[in-house]
Amino acid sequence: MRYDCVIIGGGLSGLTCGIRLAETGASVAVISTGMSALHFSSGSIDLFGYNGEGRTVYRPFEFLDEFVGSNPRHPYALCGARQVREALFYFRGQLDLEGIELYNNDESNHFHVTTLGTLKPTFFSQRSVFNEKIRLAFEKKSMIAALNFEGYRDFYPELAVINLRRNVLFRNIEIITGKIVYPDYGDPQRNPFEYRSVDIARIFDTERYLEELAVQIRNAASGAAFAAMPAFLGISNFKRHHKLLQELTGLLIYEIPTLPPSILGMRIDNALKSRFASLGGVYIAGDTVTGGSISGERLESVVTENGGGSALSAGSFVLATGSFFSGGLVSEFSRVREPVLDLKVYSDAERSRWYAPEFFPRRGHPFLEYGVETDERLNPKTGDGRRVKNLYCTGALLPYYNPIKEGSGGGVAVSTGYRAAELILEGNS
Amino acid sequence: MRRIETEAIVIGGGATGAGTLRDLSLRGVRAVLIEKSDIASGTTGRNHGLLHSGARYAVNDLESARECISENRILKKIARHCIEDTGGLFVTLPEDDPSYHGKLIEHCRYAGIRCEEIGVREALRMEPNLNPEILSALRVPDGTIDPFRLTSANVLDAQERGASVFTHTEVEEILRDGDRAAGVRCRDRLTGEKIEIYAGIIVNASGVWGQRLSASAGIELRMFPSKGSMLIIDYRINNKVVNRCRVPSDGDIIVPGDTVSLIGTTSKKVDYDRIDEITVDDDEIATLLESGEKLIPSVSRARVLRAYCGVRPLIAVSGEMDGREISRGIVLIDHEKRDAVGGLITIAGGKLMTYRLMAEMAADLACAKLKAGKKCRTHRTPLPGSERRVDQARSVKFFTGIPNSVVGSTLYRHGHRIRNILHREKRNYGLICECEMVTEGEIEYALKKLNVRDIVDLRRRTRIGMGPCQGQLCAYRAAGLFVKYDSATSDESNKMLVDFLEERWKGIKPVLWGDALREVEFGYWIYQGLFGLGDVRFEEEAEKR
Repeated sequence: MRYDCVIIGGGLSGLTCGIRLAETGASVAVISTGMSALHFSSGSIDLFGYNGEGRTVYRPFEFLDEFVGSNPRHPYALCGARQVREALFYFRGQLDLEGIELYNNDESNHFHVTTLGTLKPTFFSQRSVFNEKIRLAFEKKSMIAALNFEGYRDFYPELAVINLRRNVLFRNIEIITGKIVYPDYGDPQRNPFEYRSVDIARIFDTERYLEELAVQIRNAASGAAFAAMPAFLGISNFKRHHKLLQELTGLLIYEIPTLPPSILGMRIDNALKSRFASLGGVYIAGDTVTGGSISGERLESVVTENGGGSALSAGSFVLATGSFFSGGLVSEFSRVREPVLDLKVYSDAERSRWYAPEFFPRRGHPFLEYGVETDERLNPKTGDGRRVKNLYCTGALLPYYNPIKEGSGGGVAVSTGYRAAELILEGNS
Repeated sequence: MRRIETEAIVIGGGATGAGTLRDLSLRGVRAVLIEKSDIASGTTGRNHGLLHSGARYAVNDLESARECISENRILKKIARHCIEDTGGLFVTLPEDDPSYHGKLIEHCRYAGIRCEEIGVREALRMEPNLNPEILSALRVPDGTIDPFRLTSANVLDAQERGASVFTHTEVEEILRDGDRAAGVRCRDRLTGEKIEIYAGIIVNASGVWGQRLSASAGIELRMFPSKGSMLIIDYRINNKVVNRCRVPSDGDIIVPGDTVSLIGTTSKKVDYDRIDEITVDDDEIATLLESGEKLIPSVSRARVLRAYCGVRPLIAVSGEMDGREISRGIVLIDHEKRDAVGGLITIAGGKLMTYRLMAEMAADLACAKLKAGKKCRTHRTPLPGSERRVDQARSVKFFTGIPNSVVGSTLYRHGHRIRNILHREKRNYGLICECEMVTEGEIEYALKKLNVRDIVDLRRRTRIGMGPCQGQLCAYRAAGLFVKYDSATSDESNKMLVDFLEERWKGIKPVLWGDALREVEFGYWIYQGLFGLGDVRFEEEAEKR
């Protein structure tokens, strides 16, 4: 098979890139090993949340304008501040087409509530996580009811409420907790005390349970203006059912991320895949690229685990395989390597410097900043120093940024994916 | 200040202290245990969990070997739910001195340890992962013992017989009344509460930490701490204890334990001032992996879960300072005779294997001084959980409806006490830790009955967070259950979540490569990226438990 572009890695970055390319009529294949990191994400898209001193960044684009100048190796610098903005709003437009509306506070960050009730600055959130109405009710100091199913293991409102109450923003806001119980549902063999967010999402996706759930939610909220619920309010019928639930209860119902799997992230994952498919993109799931053949300055083709030896060739390739967790980087006793093509990697030779002494360090863990070194066109080098000009590296695979410390993971994935697509399109025209 | 009067105080919640508490309670002596951290959190919980046959000591230390085999037989009866009677092998590698093999057989005979020569083929049949190059193999009655379960069962039994237990409580001072030690002043490290406890006798069973404690009573007790490091491998790669048949040396044993295997051990002298901050060094990891691989080659492909180390409590008997008089055996000191301080005895040295014997010796002396108490019964009274032999098939049938794997794991960890834990109620058997099959019911039981005060304690009682994921999901769930079962406030639960993850991190750091690093990135992503746990600002110390 020959494609215009083969994208290795089907996460946020790979799919953003794939959609942008497929939109122009290019033939694009995405090869994905398994679940993307979106399934473990907050479902909000961070752009830049914290500066070098750990202080909150309120206006991320203004911040970036200056930041990219003094941090030339940072992925945002490789994209350029202008293209970062372009990428993010392009991304929002694509999700909009799939029925997922992202909220943004104009040019500013807003805060989303975490599982533990801390607040994190982010740029886009799903409207069930934050929107203007929530802001308004919040400003009016309306009462909040944090609700949960009895026996759901992956969210404990009590642990979040204590931290929320301590936050200045929540001062003078009354927060109560309440319990609801599962409707008589599904498989009697399954233990409802072991339901995960996906199991509960299925309940909310089933229309006939909504009325019963609405009654329970209204009663448990006992007079609050909003109900904060773990993010499990459905996937496939979420938009319609969420609206219906709000009408039935008369409450503003918003979602708080839970332990994985992340329903908020899965919604985005599904939307991106659906958008990619509707543009004619080919998504190859459950296969892993194991190597490729490079001749001169070009990657000619790649082989996969299930490909039976036949190669996939393409005009250009994108490597969006993620960091260690996703398998894009592999660490051994004393080195870090890139497993598909053995590309040149930035890391530290001394293993004791890969990490900080504490698990929650102020300065973050260095290993999060390791990755495949590229030039400003996102082209990597092979281990023996040859540049590969038709291969573009994007997303968490890239070095010189710390997604958690900066609060920049989603933004880097989206903007470098988009940037790679633009570079490929530029080269073709 | 709270004031308590009792007959005996035991300081130190390791196996020896817990065993002494139980021994005294069985004799009808009222006793109180004080432990500065959690039970089995010191040397007791930081070894390879080997139920020694004594063969390892037979050539060099016949007395220890004899003690081991005698206790080995007793423990198999009284602590069967803490033990796996796996059997053990001593294998000779091509590079080893072949004469040690014959010596070991001979000395095992002197010590009364059953030691039989089996063929190489037979050894490989028993243990298929074994290095096929071995020259010879011996079979000995080694087994495995879970030190956490063992200590907890001793404490539980004592409490059921009326003893009191204070964990996370530190002895600040031994209170003197003239030439007698009359009691202790201690402080609850979690609440800050001060407690004074008075008793007719104080048993110091605080192991290597006894040097500091004794100093507070003006007594010199010199310890020579030696560090031993171990690695935990993600899979159970062997079913029998595999020893290297040579003079004791670094990295000569692989012990299976629950779902994992452990490679032991190194030996390094450490300064006494550093005993609370020792870590595993890179050269130790390299030595252990290299030697482990020689015994079982698949070690090289296994994931290392964690590295940890403990301090052996070697003690200077006569107070000599040059270390020549260091004893590796059991040391019982009557401070009335040695230092003219009445009411205080020290039990130290020895090993996990001889904890019961040490407890018996200490309790004998304590009772003699109190002029109270009956004869020792610990050698024939089974521990809670080991009251009766439990049949797995019958238990599975009894708990029909509950997944077999849950019944099996609960039974494995709690023996006969499974009936106090499992109920045919969905809430009860819902899983909280999927790696180790820990249910909500087991956690509830541990919170209510087993002196659990934080998630790290809970891990020692239930194995929560000990599996391949090292607590990624279950730690948060456990924190939630502390609140649900009224064992902590929300703020305390958040705080103990940080403490738990930091504690896990200590053991993961030294082996941070490969899948361990992947797992850490995932965990950090969840707890910092998703939860913002590192940003939580806790209330002042005043709001402590």
